[in-house]
Order: sequence, then structure tokens, then C-alpha cells
Amino acid sequence: MALSFRRIVASIGIALLLPVVAHAQESATISGHVTGEGGIALSGVAVSIPELGLGGITRDDGSYTVAVPSARVNRQAVTVTARRVGYKPKSARVTINPGTLTQDFVLEANPLQLGEVVVTGAGTSTEVEKLGNVRNSVSPELLVKSNEANVVQALAGKAPNVQIAQSSGDPGAGSKITIRGLRTINGDVEPLFIIDGVPMNNSTFSTTNFNPIDAGSTTGVGGQDVGGQLEGTSAPNKMMDLNPADIESVEILKGAAAAAIYGARAANGVILVTTKRGRSGQTRYSLRSSGTNDEVTKTYPLQRKYGQGQRGVAAPITRSWGQELTGDTFDHAKEAFDTGHQLDNTLSVSGGNERTTFYLSGNYNKNQGVFVGPNNYFDRATARLNASHHLTEGLTVGGNFSFADTRGHMTQRGNNVNGLLLGLFRTPPNFNNFPWLDPKTGLHRSYMVPDATLETAGQTRVFNNPLFTLNEELNDQKGNRAFGNINAEYIANTWLKFNYTLGADYAQDERLEGCPAECSDVAVTGRITEGRITDYQLDHNLTGTANWHLNANVAGTVTLGQNLNARNYRTFSVVGRGLIATQPFSIINTLARDPASDYQTEIHNESYFGQATLDLYNQLFLTGALRNDGSTTFGRENRRSLFPKASAAWTFTNAYKPSVLTFGKLRVSYGEAGQEPQPYLTSPTFSGTNLVGGISQGTGFTPTQSGLGGLFTSFTKPASSLKPERTKELEGGFDIGFWGEKADFSATWYRSKTNDVILVLSVAPSTGYSSEAKNGGVFSNSGTELSLNLRPITKTNYSWDLGLGWGRNKSNVDTLSGAQFLLTDNGLLKTVAQQGFPLGVIRSLGWVRCGISPNDAISGVDLAKVCAGAPKGALYLSDGSNDECGDAGMPCVDNTERVIADPNPRWTGNAHTTIRYKKFELSGLVDIKKGGDVWNGTRGALLSYGTHKDTEIRAKCTGAATSTCTGNEHAMGDADFYPQPVVGPGKGVKFPVGENWYRNSGLAACPFTGIDDPCIEDGGYVKLREISLGYTFDQPWVARSLGMSSVELRVAGRNLKTWTKYTGLDPETTVGGSTSRVGGTDYFNLPLTRSFVVTVSLNR
Amino acid sequence: MRKSSIVAAAICLTAAAGCNSFLDAPKAVADPNAPTQASTNQLFVGTLSNTFGNYEGPVAMLICQWMQQCAGVNGRFVETQAIYTIDAGTFDIPFQNIFNGGGLIGLRAVEAQVASDRLYLGVAEVLEAMNIMFAADVWGDIPYSEAVGSNTTPKFDPQMQVYASLLTLLDKAIADLAAGGTGPGAADLVYGGNATKWSEAAHTLKARIYLHQVEKLGNAQYTSALTEARKGISSPANDWKTAHSSNTSERNMWAQFAQTSFGPDLVAGSTLVNLMKAQNDPRIGSYYQKNSAGAYVGYDVSTGGPDVATISALVTNPTAPQPIITYDETQLIIAEAAFQTSDRTSAATAFNLVRTRAGKPTIAAAALTLADIMNEKYITLFENPEVWNDYKRTCLPALKAARGRSRIPGRIYYGQTEEQTNSNTPTTASQNLFTFRNPNDPNACQ
Repeated sequence: MALSFRRIVASIGIALLLPVVAHAQESATISGHVTGEGGIALSGVAVSIPELGLGGITRDDGSYTVAVPSARVNRQAVTVTARRVGYKPKSARVTINPGTLTQDFVLEANPLQLGEVVVTGAGTSTEVEKLGNVRNSVSPELLVKSNEANVVQALAGKAPNVQIAQSSGDPGAGSKITIRGLRTINGDVEPLFIIDGVPMNNSTFSTTNFNPIDAGSTTGVGGQDVGGQLEGTSAPNKMMDLNPADIESVEILKGAAAAAIYGARAANGVILVTTKRGRSGQTRYSLRSSGTNDEVTKTYPLQRKYGQGQRGVAAPITRSWGQELTGDTFDHAKEAFDTGHQLDNTLSVSGGNERTTFYLSGNYNKNQGVFVGPNNYFDRATARLNASHHLTEGLTVGGNFSFADTRGHMTQRGNNVNGLLLGLFRTPPNFNNFPWLDPKTGLHRSYMVPDATLETAGQTRVFNNPLFTLNEELNDQKGNRAFGNINAEYIANTWLKFNYTLGADYAQDERLEGCPAECSDVAVTGRITEGRITDYQLDHNLTGTANWHLNANVAGTVTLGQNLNARNYRTFSVVGRGLIATQPFSIINTLARDPASDYQTEIHNESYFGQATLDLYNQLFLTGALRNDGSTTFGRENRRSLFPKASAAWTFTNAYKPSVLTFGKLRVSYGEAGQEPQPYLTSPTFSGTNLVGGISQGTGFTPTQSGLGGLFTSFTKPASSLKPERTKELEGGFDIGFWGEKADFSATWYRSKTNDVILVLSVAPSTGYSSEAKNGGVFSNSGTELSLNLRPITKTNYSWDLGLGWGRNKSNVDTLSGAQFLLTDNGLLKTVAQQGFPLGVIRSLGWVRCGISPNDAISGVDLAKVCAGAPKGALYLSDGSNDECGDAGMPCVDNTERVIADPNPRWTGNAHTTIRYKKFELSGLVDIKKGGDVWNGTRGALLSYGTHKDTEIRAKCTGAATSTCTGNEHAMGDADFYPQPVVGPGKGVKFPVGENWYRNSGLAACPFTGIDDPCIEDGGYVKLREISLGYTFDQPWVARSLGMSSVELRVAGRNLKTWTKYTGLDPETTVGGSTSRVGGTDYFNLPLTRSFVVTVSLNR
Repeated sequence: MRKSSIVAAAICLTAAAGCNSFLDAPKAVADPNAPTQASTNQLFVGTLSNTFGNYEGPVAMLICQWMQQCAGVNGRFVETQAIYTIDAGTFDIPFQNIFNGGGLIGLRAVEAQVASDRLYLGVAEVLEAMNIMFAADVWGDIPYSEAVGSNTTPKFDPQMQVYASLLTLLDKAIADLAAGGTGPGAADLVYGGNATKWSEAAHTLKARIYLHQVEKLGNAQYTSALTEARKGISSPANDWKTAHSSNTSERNMWAQFAQTSFGPDLVAGSTLVNLMKAQNDPRIGSYYQKNSAGAYVGYDVSTGGPDVATISALVTNPTAPQPIITYDETQLIIAEAAFQTSDRTSAATAFNLVRTRAGKPTIAAAALTLADIMNEKYITLFENPEVWNDYKRTCLPALKAARGRSRIPGRIYYGQTEEQTNSNTPTTASQNLFTFRNPNDPNACQ
């Protein structure tokens, strides 16, 4: 593992550069070898003389050289220290005499990572044992071993309470990351990403946002249309532009206590990524090449016995309740899926000399997805150059530059008649989706328009033929990203240094979606959506750090810094309707265009911060920090905000050491961090779009009418003053090492309270406005995080280690400023914040249940009496005599909306292990989510459509009423039919289950009835995330015959197996994708994939 | 805005002068995405578009179903509405549209800006009356006197008081229209700023309001209605119709809905289809399409048939202007008012004017019945919310409630947001759809 020079110097915190005084004296050279246990040469070890501010790094053979200029050779005694990540630092005293000195080091492994340096953000760093917060770091080996091209997804299962959700298995689909639960309902829920000291945008933008009219969107807080959560394509999260192979380290700052140094942008935590640097010595080459086969983890169970129709008779309707089939049937569950292929190549070259180092890499990732046809892929090319140069003694300048080019073609999904799965799984088994174009007319044929004659031109297909969706639609995205920084470090004298970073992040993303003519629904005449997202960020960060040693027992540092940040964001888009010619998919080839949409934001921040540390008796480490943020998003009266933090770490084993403990530390910290308001909430405006909502999505008026420009007063009352949301977090815990160094255990408890949460509260529409943004919400989160690492066997030839992580977060909405509930997502369901409940619960109607429904839920029934003795949640079954209820034996509708599900997991955990035998290495990672409800609307819809496998056994119905049906009789609560406790006069009463129940009863098909509790399922899972077996060839013959220093072969599997009770495609999936705050909504989203990977790494 | 603002700011910080400008960047402080100023004409077009939306929007579609000119099928939301399965949430947006955006707040802004242009003021006042009357018709008591002011919880004015205020407002509007001014001109998509046409529409509106008061205040209101209707819309050319273009969100709302995937869920209602077939009404072809068997068939919400698959779809045209207040309606107001005040001759004259225009045979004064008049109005005012007001007053045409229901609702729920935020709002429970009737409609039909 490489170690960055800058981090070392920063960590040591002491550097000396005396003015060059001309003395006629001889220079000195200190050189030597650094080896590990067993005499293995260690490369990349930083050898430094802190008192002189000098240092060098060992070459591949473990040798190093530090030259001391003649002016500074004073025959003095100095300390020479050798450090390398994974090893305990070692120091030696040497006397500087002119000439050559030799000092060798033998380093011991350091599984507890004591003495290693951790970056803590905003230019500060510290040593592991001095940290007042829980440390979660992810090593580059783990990131690369995950075989994920997306660094966010690669973090899955790597740290407790760091939750990752993949939006779909479509190539390029984004992943969402949240840490320690949610703390906001309108702001961003993801942590701030900092790459080499510069914030990097990790936004996710769905192309459907460009088409608010068809997407049935609402205007988001801050004014941008948000409609893309339920349909459209999966969207990439922008951290995808970073090649995981370029990463040197990832530090996760969880919660406000750790992240407070980032002030108003840090309430969700911060992820600090450091990219690789070159090091002096021989130039090193590395080529890593991997090939992956992907396939869908699961498809839906569909029936193949009954055809299109109703009441047992064939009819040209959308449902499959028709005749029993005798002819050919088709396997719609599988016909759209294929094996996907990925090829990932990274070539890196790094090296340098004592003054200049560089790291250069290029990556090409080609990902052809799992849906049939050529149109689903995501290709990424990245290049990176990191370089630094010691300009003069004391002054080092450097630059990191990265470029990414992504080209993807995504697949329409979700609640979308032009999406893949909606049409696919609804297709009756007797309809052949091939060919998707009529051979004679070339027109789109679907099961609702099976005979695509010329007369059907211009008519909707109701649902697209899924193969038409895959082969004829265009869903293109092209991203370009340039990001990086120039940096300088100036060591002014023995106790003072300065760091400067000027970073930039420029991203442009072009989207083009085209639905040909005879697409379904509103796109029937053909539709083009074209848009561009431009994101531009500049960041200036200047810090000065002073440190002092009063005596051997008292030392400290003071860092002062200043940060300026400017973010510009703009989207521009047009929707065109009515294709003139069939090609090209271009906005100019359309008959009519919706009003163009142009949305931009500009945010400026100006911040000052300071941090002081105090080290006492080498066992008590205190840190205090303060950040003052100014932001244009704050109201004028609150233009600046202050965020404090304090922490203490006590290495008690330095005072008292029980024999069982190798190391022990208690830590406690408190910090405050914020979330900026959305821009422009305080700015009064008029609006020109979305004036009147129609009855369904796709209908509505703008104030402009018949070519005359119209405007209206914004529905949202301008806020008089707003300040940032503020999270106050208290964290405590301990870290211990025991059984020698064979085990370590870490426990952390935290409690946070988020005040001033910005709520868009309803105001009485009769006042002229419908909503107003206010700082009014209070949310709290509390939780526990445990991690245990065991290294039972650590022999030279073989070793075994095992790690376990466990995290639990409990959130609660303390107050919503009087609102009963507020939506957290613009989703298919009401995902809400509701006082007294965890954030993100689902509200809807449900069946009448004991202990949940009001006593008078059914007219004339004293529910409490019937329910006496029954468990809470028992289902009331009626005798069919009440209006609220179905026929005898069926449940009843509770017309009082209630919280029916909580998508938040009860806890999450992970287990990883590595077994090494000589040059073989076997490792595995299991990712566990306990609890967390998912609304399986896909299943609900397919039951109504009669295509779900569960409808294969069905009652025969001749009419809509239950009385017209015979056969397949079941009683609710039976082991094979809605098994659960039941009460009431209908208990045990069997009724025929067929079309009448699933389609007509108004009780069963939740997506269409609004009664959602029957669709709630347990979304807990255990996933075998990663398993890999590698072998490293580094025998002498490798160098002799291949010219390589080592060759590594690895076979791996990803997401090979999921154990879950969930009956849908995958409990991880959510129709909102990574743009949804909470998740837990499954509605015809695309499936996830499992992968088999073969990797070859060549190192020279 | 200087391009390299961050560099400038960095420099300024070292120079310790003018540093505030970084946090005062104009595009960072004021929303660059929306106008902060709006002209009178822009606001006026917004209020017109909003009025079109109120009269063509979800409430109009609901009324069309409840009045069985239309029917909802296929189990999706229109079918649930057709059988009166609705809640306060259903009406959130329709209620907002009365007051927000291009609603009362927009009209008040226009009225404030045109205070010295009395023609323009009069037009805005008529629009205000149209929108508030619509709200009072469907909701009964509504916030009006304290609406769109400083009170965060405006009180609800009694419905009859709202009607009275609107009569006063329309009188003022008529006076203002006559006083001259520049007016909205081409910004007026309905009448092109024509004072006479607006004045006629104002009189027909007054006649409408008197009719809406009849059930409560008695037949004297018929006399007033007659007087006003006679000053009302004087020719079909002066009809108050919505205006639409083929641009996506400027299309006729009925057409917009028909072109979504939900379009086939809204079909012909059997009551109107059967009535038109019985009268051999030539307009049937412009209202409905024949089904695949070549027949006009309507869906009967009381029996749930015939089978959904055989129902014809409603005919719609994206640029079709939707008639809201018309000459025909004015004549039929005259017919009803005259008939109810025992002037059969006048009633027959006005009635037969409409019949003749429709291409149907006339009916002699002696043979004329109230049912003839109201059925004719029901046929003529296709997709017009006014038919619900007529039904609540006259119980004509005879309608049967949806299956499983004993009566057709007489009102709709207040918007949920208003109920949750304004303590003056009567609760949904106290305003039960089936038992509570608006004050102007004390008697149920079933």
C-alpha cells in the first residue's frame, strides 16, 4: 500500500526548514533498508527526520536515502522515524555527522493501526489513537475487490450504519448512500464527498425531470421540477465519475460530531477520499483487467395457463383472466433478459524522484447490461494525473487532475407504460412479443394492438411491447467531467505550515430520450426529451497550522482556515412531440414543443474555521473546533452561522493496562453540523409553469394560453427568514485491542437532534398561498455501532481474519411544527415524516385490523369487542353485510389513513473474512439488513392482471360478483392464503379466489385500490455480496520470464445469493432509485444483477 | 456577475475590503429562474387560464360523471369518483386553484393594477365572480370576504351571502365595463376586451346566481333571473368560451385527458346517450363516438353495464373551445324562469330558439313541460358544471344513483389542505357527502 507523502508530513505536524546559511561544511546522507517481519523488503515506507523537515520514501528493495544539506549538518542528535500504513512506526536517534550514515529499520505489523495518520477534513489530520470519533475507513484493496465501477456501491457492507441502496441493475444505475439515518425531508440526505480536499458533486438526476408534464411532477423545493422518481430511466450518481482504482483511502466521517469542521454542509456526514500519489523510486506499472458476466438475480414468477380476457373468455383487454390455454405460451419472465458483460481495464504508471512524484492512470469500463438488445450499456473512460514537486525547500506544489467521459444507454422503467417491466410482466402468456414490429407495416405491435395494421398508426399501444421498449427507444446520456485541484504546502518554520488548495469540479451531462411514434400513452405521436445538466464548482481552501511542544507531556496544534465555495448548477431542456420523420431522434424533428425549461442555481459560501488540539501526557487528546459559515442560501437576517465541535480521547491503557488489553481508548465527542436551505426560498417570484393540475398525470395548464404569455403568483409564500438545519450530535464509545493484537473491538453510541429542519408547511389556500418554508422540524436519531475484528491466525504462510460489523439507527420525528405529516418523497406512495414515527414511514389505507383501526371503523361493529383476546393486527373478516367490507370471509377497508409500513431497517450488519494460504487468498463479504418494509406493488398489480404465478390456480367466474365464481375456495388466514391471525364473523369462511377477488373486489390489488397494507412485505435480507479467490505469482520466474514483479489472478462473485422472505425481485430495489430519500417502494423497477468476475493484475 | 468571482473574493479577502460582495452575488440571492415582476396582461392571461382550468378541470369531469353525461370505468380513479368514492384530498388542487396562483390572489393583483382602467377592472371583476360563484356552487360556504388578505385563517362566509356579494360585484362590474378604458385588448382570449360582450356575460352570470338561490329564497328569484337573462348573452357569437392551442399544456383539458393512457377510462354516460337517442338529437355525433358495433352506447353507473369493452369514447379536440356561458344557456334560463313564473309563451319561444338551432322539432307552448326545458338544457350544456346546479334545483333529468349508493352527492369536500390549516373549515365528517347539502339546496332529489 502506498502512503502519501503529504499525509505524513501533515501528520507529523512538525517540519523544519532553517534558512540556508552558507557554511563551508560537508553534507550528510542517511540511508538504509526497511524490512518487515521475516525480512521482506518494504517499499513505500516514509522515513523522515521531523526536526529537520526532511524525508524520503523507500524504493521497491526497501532502501531509502535522506540527504541533509551541509548547512544543517551540526553534529546534532535527531530522531529518524519510519512509517508505513499497516506497520507500527519506528524511530531511532542518530547523530548527524558529515558523510554517510546507515540506519536500518525492521517494522512490525500494526493491526490496530495505532500511530497511523487519519485525515480528518478541511486540511486537518491526526493519529488514530488521538481520534475522538469512531473511525470508519475503507482500504483501497476492499474497494477494488468489490469489482464495482461505482465507488458508492463499492462501500456496501463496509461500515456499520453506512447504508447503500442500488437503484437497479441497469448499467450506470446510481446507488444511494446514507449514514446514520435521515436528518432532513427537503434537503440532501447523502453525505458530502470531498476528493483530495475539494467537494465533489454526487448528484443524481433523472431525465424524467425534464418532462414534468408527462411525469405528473410537482415543483420541488427550490423551484426545480421533480418528477423522475416513478418512471423514466435509472440515473447515475455522479461519484461514478471517479475510478475506484485511483483511490488511496476512504475515511467516513459519520454524523455531526465528526463532520462539524465542514459546517453547514455536513449534517449527513462527510466522505473523505484521497487519491493515489506517486512515490520516488523505480517507475511502477500496473495493469488490471477484469471481465464480468452479469445476470439478473431473479425474475418474476408468472402463470402460463390462462390467456388474455375476462371471466374465462378471451377478450382484447389488458388482463389475463381469459380462457385456459391449449396452444403455445411464452415465457415473458425470461425473454427480456440475457447475460451482460463488463470489461474493465486500468493502467497506471507511477514513480518519481525525491523532488517530483507522479501518478498517471487510465481506465476504460465497458458495461453491456443484462437486457436483450444492444441498447443497454454504460461505458466510462477516466484518466488521472496526480503530481507534486518540491519547488524549494519548504514549498511543495502539486496538482491532481481527473477527467471522465461516460456514455450510457439506459432502459425505461417503473410506473411507466413505455417502461420495460410494466409491459413485460403484464403481457398475457398466449401473446408472443416477437416480433415487436409488424413485418408488413413496420408498426409497433403490442398485446393490446396485436395486429398493427396501418389503421393503428398514431394509436396508443396501451403498454409497450417490452422488446420495442428495449430495441426502439432511445435513452442516451453522455457525461463529461473534469475535476481536480492545484495545491501548495509551505512549511514556514519548525512550528508553522500553510496549505492551499484551489479545486474545481466541472460536469456536463447531456440527456436525450426518444420514444418513437406508436409508443404508448402521451408519447403516442413520438416524443423527444432533450436536456443538459451543467454543474460547476470552485473551492478555495487555505489553512495554516501551528504546533507546539511545551514539554514531553503537553503538546498541541492550532489550525486556522478559510474556505470559499461557489456552486453553479443549470439544467436546460425541451420536450418535443410528434415526430415528423421516424428519424432522427432530435428536437428539430418534432411538430410541437413544450415550453423549454431552464433552471439554474448559484450558491456562494464563505467560511472561516479553526481547530485546536491538546495532547496531555500522551494519553488524553482534546480537540475543539469552530466553523463560521456564510451562505447565500441563508436568509438575510441569518447570513452567518456558527458550528462548534469538541472531542476527547483517552488512551487509558497508557495510564492503566489490564493484562488482557493491548490497547484501550475511551472517546467522547460533540459536534454541530448543518444542512443549507434550498436556494431561493426567500426570493418572491411569479411562475410561468404548472398552473392548474388536471385529474391525471399528463394533464394541466400553464398560465400561458394560446400563445399569450401568462404568469401567476407562486403558490409558495416567500420565506421571511431561513437558517440552516442544525444537527447536534453526541457520540461516545471505546476502542480496545486484546489477545495481544489478535482482536479489536469498537463500540459507539450516538444521539443526535436535528433542529430547525426546513419544512414546507401548508398554509390555508384561501390566504392566496398553499405553502411556506419554515425552520420548524425537530428530528432525532440515536444508534449503536459495533465492530469486532479477529485475527486468530497470523502466520507467515497462512492467516485467517474475520470482521463483524453491526449498526442500528432509530429515528424519530419529534415535531413538525403542527403539520400532521409531510411528504419526504414525491413518490408513488405517501412516504412521510409523521410526529412520533421514524422518518420515512408509509401512510396509506389498510384493511381493518384489531388494535390498529378505530373502534368504529366498520359501521355497526364494536371492533374492540370482536377483537377481544386477538393479537394486535389481527384481520377482521366480515360476513359480507357491511358497506366497508367485501363479501363473506373478506376483509374490510379502514377508511382512516394510517402508517402501514416502515422501510427503515431495524439493524444492518456485515461479516467479512479473509483466509490466506501462501499465495492463495479467499475472501467473502456478507451484507445483512434486518427488517425494513417494502411495498410490493408489482406483485399487487400482477395479481390484478392475472399474470402472477399465484393466479394460476383460480376460481372460474362468469360475472364480477363473488357469487358467480366457483372453485379455488380459500379462507383468509389459512396457511396458504394471506396467513395471519383473523377475527370476526367471516373467520373461516371460504370464498372462491379468482378474478372476482384479485381484480374486482377492490380489496386485493393495492396499486389500484389504494389499500396498501396487503402489499407490505418484510424487506430484510442476507446477501452474499462478495466472494473472491485470488492467487499471486511473484516467484522469481515471473520477473525472469514475464518481466513482471507480480501477477495476480482472481475469480470473484458479486451478489451471488440473497436470502430473503421478500417475494419481489429484490428488497433493495426502489422505484425512486437513488433520488428517493427512503425507498421501500417496488413498482416495476428493473431487476438487480449478480456477477461473476475474472481479474488479472500485472504489476511491474 | 464577474466570472471569476471566487478568485476575486479570495483577493478581496486578503485586501480586507468589499468582501461582502461574495455573499451578495445577485444570482445567488435572487431567484434567476422566475420573474420577480409580472405585467398586468401576463397576470391577466394567467387568471384566464386558471378560469379555464376551473371550468374544464377535475371538478367539471367529476360533475360530468355524477350527472351521467360521462361515466368512469376500468377500476381506476375516474371509476371510483363515478361511484362517489372521494375524499378531501381529491379536491385539494381544485380548492387551491380558486384562491392561489391565477385564482383570487391573481385577480386581486390585476384589479389593483388596473384600478384606473375601469373597462379592464370590470373584466377582472366578472372573472372574479365566475370563479367565486363556481366555488360557492360546489362547496357552499367558502372563505371570501377575508380570503387572500392578512388573515392566516380566513372565515367561511355563508353561501347565500357569497351569492349576494357576487350580485353586488357583478353590478359594479357592469358599471365599470360601461365606464370605458383601455381594457385587456388582445390579452383577453375570450372577448378581445369587448365591453358589450363582457357585460352580457355578466348579466347571464347574474341570472345563473338568481337560479342558484331559487330553492332557498323562492320563485321571486325567477323573476330576477328572467330580467337578467334578457340582458344576457344575445347571440351565439357572444358565447363565453375557453380558448386553447395545440401546445401540450394549452390544450383543452378534456382532450388532454383523452390522450393520456387513462383516456379510455372516461366513457359515455347512459343517461345523456339514451336521452339524445330518444330525441334523435343531431348533436350526438359531436359528443360521442360510436362503439365497434356501430352504435351509441352509454355506461349505466346504476347497473354497471354494459360491458366496459363495448363502450364508446368521448370525442375531443385539443383546440376545441369549451362553451362555459352561452346564448343557448341564456335562452334556456329564460325558458325555465318564464315557465316557472307561468309565462309559457315566453318559455316556449326561448326554448324553441335553442331546439331549432340544434336541428330538432319545436314543441308548442301548451305541450311544453319543465322536463322538456331541463332535459334540453342537460343535453345542450354537455360537460358544463352548470348541469349539476340545475339538477340540484329541479331534480331533472331523472337520475339513478350509482350502484350501491342511495343518492347522488349534493356537494364536494373542501380541500384537505384548507381543512388541516384553517380551523374555520368545517370538518369532512361534519360535511358528509351524502347527508350534508349546501345551504342553497335544502332538498335532496332522491
